[in-house]
Amino acid sequence: MQSQFNIEQQLLAALAAGDRAATEQIYSQNYHIISGWLQKNGGTSADAADLFQEAMVVLFGKAQDEEFRLTCSIGTYLFAISKHLWYKKLQKQHREPVPLHENKGDDDEDTGIAYEDDINTHKEREAHYEQLDAALDQLGEPCRSILRAYYHHDKSMQEIAASFGYTNPENAKTQKYKCLTRLRKIFYAGMD
Amino acid sequence: MSLSTNNIWELAELYLAGSLPQETFVQLKARLATDSAFATEFYEATDLIRSATDSGKHKRFKNMLRDIHREQTKKDTGSKKATKHVIFTPEFWRTASIAAGVAILTSTITIWSLKPSMRKNESRYNMISREVKGLQIAQAQQLQKQQQLEKNLDTKTRKSFAPTSDVMKTGTGFALSNNGYFVTAYHVLHDENGYGDSVYIQNHDGQYFKASLVTFNAETDVAIMKVEKSGFRFGKGELPYSFAPAKAALGSHIFTLGYPAEDISYSEGYISARNGYDGNGMQYTLELPVGYGESGSPLVDGKGNVLGLLTAVGSQAEEKTYAVSAKAIMELMHKLPDEKCIKLPKSSHIGRMSREQQISKMEAYTFAVKVYKK
Repeated sequence: MQSQFNIEQQLLAALAAGDRAATEQIYSQNYHIISGWLQKNGGTSADAADLFQEAMVVLFGKAQDEEFRLTCSIGTYLFAISKHLWYKKLQKQHREPVPLHENKGDDDEDTGIAYEDDINTHKEREAHYEQLDAALDQLGEPCRSILRAYYHHDKSMQEIAASFGYTNPENAKTQKYKCLTRLRKIFYAGMD
Repeated sequence: MSLSTNNIWELAELYLAGSLPQETFVQLKARLATDSAFATEFYEATDLIRSATDSGKHKRFKNMLRDIHREQTKKDTGSKKATKHVIFTPEFWRTASIAAGVAILTSTITIWSLKPSMRKNESRYNMISREVKGLQIAQAQQLQKQQQLEKNLDTKTRKSFAPTSDVMKTGTGFALSNNGYFVTAYHVLHDENGYGDSVYIQNHDGQYFKASLVTFNAETDVAIMKVEKSGFRFGKGELPYSFAPAKAALGSHIFTLGYPAEDISYSEGYISARNGYDGNGMQYTLELPVGYGESGSPLVDGKGNVLGLLTAVGSQAEEKTYAVSAKAIMELMHKLPDEKCIKLPKSSHIGRMSREQQISKMEAYTFAVKVYKK
């Protein structure tokens, strides 16, 4: 019989690969717990959806790291991340000073900091992707669509060649490299 | 397959996929180590491809999440959107705010060194170099030995060695040029007990290199040093950051990398006053949590410009951090004889990168400075 730990590890690996069944399972096991907690703590169901999805994205980002091994269950991690995210949101809305830390046992100092780190990494990553999207938006056609098809929609060079009217994938690839050169110029333009 | 900037994207794609032919891979590694212009272009290409790929992956995941959410909450989309009063419960009070407190707690055994000219105000102004005494010496030596052993195991050829005498004080330094010039806080090297016997830097790989003082200005607390080893290079390419001598704006977000302990540490904050301690125009006042041992750490803005170097913290009541502005560093550099001319990079290579990438690029150029006394 498999241990709970192994099952969670497999679930995480599947999540990292973007597997839908694994994601659904984690979703259905955890959403109601967090949604229930949030609605007792001043959030709406719409808040719960946003919050939980963001926590899932933090977990997804974290799971990309092969060395990542959770020291607690997926459920505990998602709950802790959700709480931290919610707290941050409240703090932003109300501009309250940061209250002193109170040790509650379930969230000791070290892991609390670790959650904060994960959230900060996540926020920085999101900001970085936004910059990249902004650079992509500045590209002309067909570059914008080709790069989106390849990177965002995970299309193969064959599919791209077919839908953009290139005679073969090699030609499409050459065009993709030209587009990347333009993207790089825009993206790194702020350096000078 | 040829190595040129014409097919850099293909090289980068194959490299990331791990499918470069062995021969090309070896050639590429050699080229990256020697040709910094090529290396910069190559790493920009791999960074961009990696970011685009990861960003796409995240987008697909988010779309899937929204889809799953729609499916699983088909029935219950009722409009219970009445806003409720927000209650702070203690269990989600943020914990990270005590990170700075932890850093300071771990340094309670240290004795703060004070800048001589500031003694009259010593209770309000503390240099943030770290003095290593008693127990800490033993710990530091043990760590050194351990790191030394680990290093000997994997890099026998590199022949770096750990100094054998006692660590008197530690600070942080950062590169002014890739060939060994660097800057640190003068008080790390010299205090009321005089100079140490020798100064070593220890880089992020744990390797030690001996360094000697080139010039200093005790008043501004800036010292320029050079790694003695000939042919020494801090990292693969030119410095990732540039220097900004003009005063940065009040409120600018800044970060620093330093060595409050054996491991490199990151912290961030903002410029809280245009001038420094007692209105000192050559300094900035910062809201920035730092640990002792971070004297000499670079003060960097979000675009990768070095604005200054950390020198001191205020009393515990104030908790201000002070940094010497980059202008003081540059003025000191200009006093160097021409043959030692250091060419600072004109632009930062990390301006548009994510913070994690900025940090990883800077790590090779930021290191611990250790002063030894027999």
